[in-house]
Amino acid sequence: MSSEVFKDATRMSGGRASDEAIVAMEGVYKRFKDFEALKNINFQVGKQEVVVVIGPSGSGKSTLIRCINRLEEHDDGRIIVDGTELTTDVRNIQEIRKETGMVFQSFNLFPHLTVLANIALAPRQVRGMPKSEAEALARELLERVKIPEQADKFPAQLSGGQQQRVAIARSLAMKPKVMLFDEPTSALDPEMINEVLDAIKQLAQEGMTMVVVTHEMGFAKEVADRVVFMADGEIVEVGTPSEIFDNPKEERTQKFLAQIL
Amino acid sequence: MITWLRRNLFRTWWDSIMTVVFGYVGLWVIWTVIEFVFVTGRWEIIQVNLKLLLVGRFPDELMWLVGASLTALAFWVAAVAGGSKIDLNNVQTIPHRLFDYTRRFGLIVALAALLIFLAADIAALLLAFQVLGGVVAGRLVGLARRNLSVLGAIPSIIWHPMLASPAIALVLVTLMESTLEEWGGFLINFYMAIISIVLCFPLGVLLALGRRSSFPIIRLVTTTYIELIRGAPLFVLLLLAGVALEFFIPPSIAPDAIFRGVTVFTLFTAAYLAEIVRGGLQSIPKGQTEAGKALGLSTTKITYLITMPQALRNVIPAQIGQFISLFKDTTLAGAALNILDVLNVGTAITKQQDFLGQGLIYEALAFVALLFWVGSYVMSRESQRLEKRLGVGVR
Repeated sequence: MSSEVFKDATRMSGGRASDEAIVAMEGVYKRFKDFEALKNINFQVGKQEVVVVIGPSGSGKSTLIRCINRLEEHDDGRIIVDGTELTTDVRNIQEIRKETGMVFQSFNLFPHLTVLANIALAPRQVRGMPKSEAEALARELLERVKIPEQADKFPAQLSGGQQQRVAIARSLAMKPKVMLFDEPTSALDPEMINEVLDAIKQLAQEGMTMVVVTHEMGFAKEVADRVVFMADGEIVEVGTPSEIFDNPKEERTQKFLAQIL
Repeated sequence: MITWLRRNLFRTWWDSIMTVVFGYVGLWVIWTVIEFVFVTGRWEIIQVNLKLLLVGRFPDELMWLVGASLTALAFWVAAVAGGSKIDLNNVQTIPHRLFDYTRRFGLIVALAALLIFLAADIAALLLAFQVLGGVVAGRLVGLARRNLSVLGAIPSIIWHPMLASPAIALVLVTLMESTLEEWGGFLINFYMAIISIVLCFPLGVLLALGRRSSFPIIRLVTTTYIELIRGAPLFVLLLLAGVALEFFIPPSIAPDAIFRGVTVFTLFTAAYLAEIVRGGLQSIPKGQTEAGKALGLSTTKITYLITMPQALRNVIPAQIGQFISLFKDTTLAGAALNILDVLNVGTAITKQQDFLGQGLIYEALAFVALLFWVGSYVMSRESQRLEKRLGVGVR
């Protein structure tokens, strides 16, 4: 990551719309029945920026990134992804989903398809890529996540860490403009966490725009351009890793960090 | 040997009593069956009426149609099975394979041999070889698709109808070329079952999707349909189809009994299948749909490519169970719609001049039961195999 990008990204915090922003959320609310999961979220992600979202469980971190690709529908406010606003229009939603990749906590690979077919599925079906080309792309991506030898296996035959790396490759196959990670290492055995984090770090170094929800504070410190701390459905504090971890201003942030570090 | 006996059969007093009692009952049953089959049973009635039992009074000059349609069916099934891309990973030795084939097809080959023996007719043997030829050809075509990229490039949605169409066309021609008075026997049960299975499957899948639709009207219509059909006894529906159509359609153009039977079986089984498939769809974790959505796949493609294949695989045993029961229920059509199916023929032949009043109904019913048992057994075996084959990626 060049320092220029780093500076550029740190300038962008909450509220201001910018042409550079790939994801912009303005005054977003999300309610589940009586429970307010997101309250007045103003949030932006710039090009090539890595944003890490931290916070206690139930603070709305996952809901936040699931709103970005419309796995959850927001009730109020605006969400703009790569210049397209999320509305109820199905075409807009499809357009945005094509440009955003998502990696889930529980991998969600398709168990009836081989690893190769898992990765080649979306390019073929959504982008209309010919089979041979899609499979070549899939092999190239497997190479990138360092498991080219697993191409013809089924997901169930892989370890958790390998499955999650396949899931990353599957998302990358759509050549997304932004990648969303929803606690990508929370379902993994401890010895497999690093192989997945390494793959994500490598992506960051290649300049991928990312929003990562995680409990891995070491990873956040090392990779994030900006850290967002959430609690009770609100964004409490935004800053560089050093600002958040070494010098948190808000009391809730201080309390949270004291509990986990 | 002695220790094995002691350990497994005579461990306690209670075990010993059970062993003796059930052993005695078991031996007695086996002995009675053997005695019936080889000593007291008078199988001339079957031998004399074999053709009636199998194809009814099917005109001799059209018998080639029966052979051709059976061969086409065999070709279709073998081609689909041979073309399956998923293979079990273990390499099998030749004796192992032979054993496997015997276990799978031994029974049906034995039945065919028995029928040929009873028929004592060179035409029957030729027919058997013709069907076998269909199987081999189908298998080769299936393998060719798997191994030749030219054939492999044909999309499944064109390939499978291509394989199925000769069989379906020939079965339909066979049904149409002969009038009901000439038709009969086991062939009618078999064809009614096959056609109903082929037709009810897509209908059942559509009904299952309808029941989960986001449109309330579609949901209401499909749910009403499913619950109405499942609430009525099959026999009553068949009787209704026999009489009620005359209220709506003039008898001269009303479809004949076989088509009414097929329609009822299709509609009936589709309702049950819909519930089975719906259960399968509900067993697929939400994350699968979410992953599909996140990749930008449309709802239709998510269903067609991700959830439905997994759902169908999960419910194979229940599906095949439904098909087996449809196969056996075709005998009800004989009673309800006056079709000369194998059961009707079987009871009718005991009233022939030569066999009247000799209590030969046992022999007739045993033969009918044997035909159905072999069919059901093969279906159930193959379903287990299919499940294993498709289960490669199971979590």
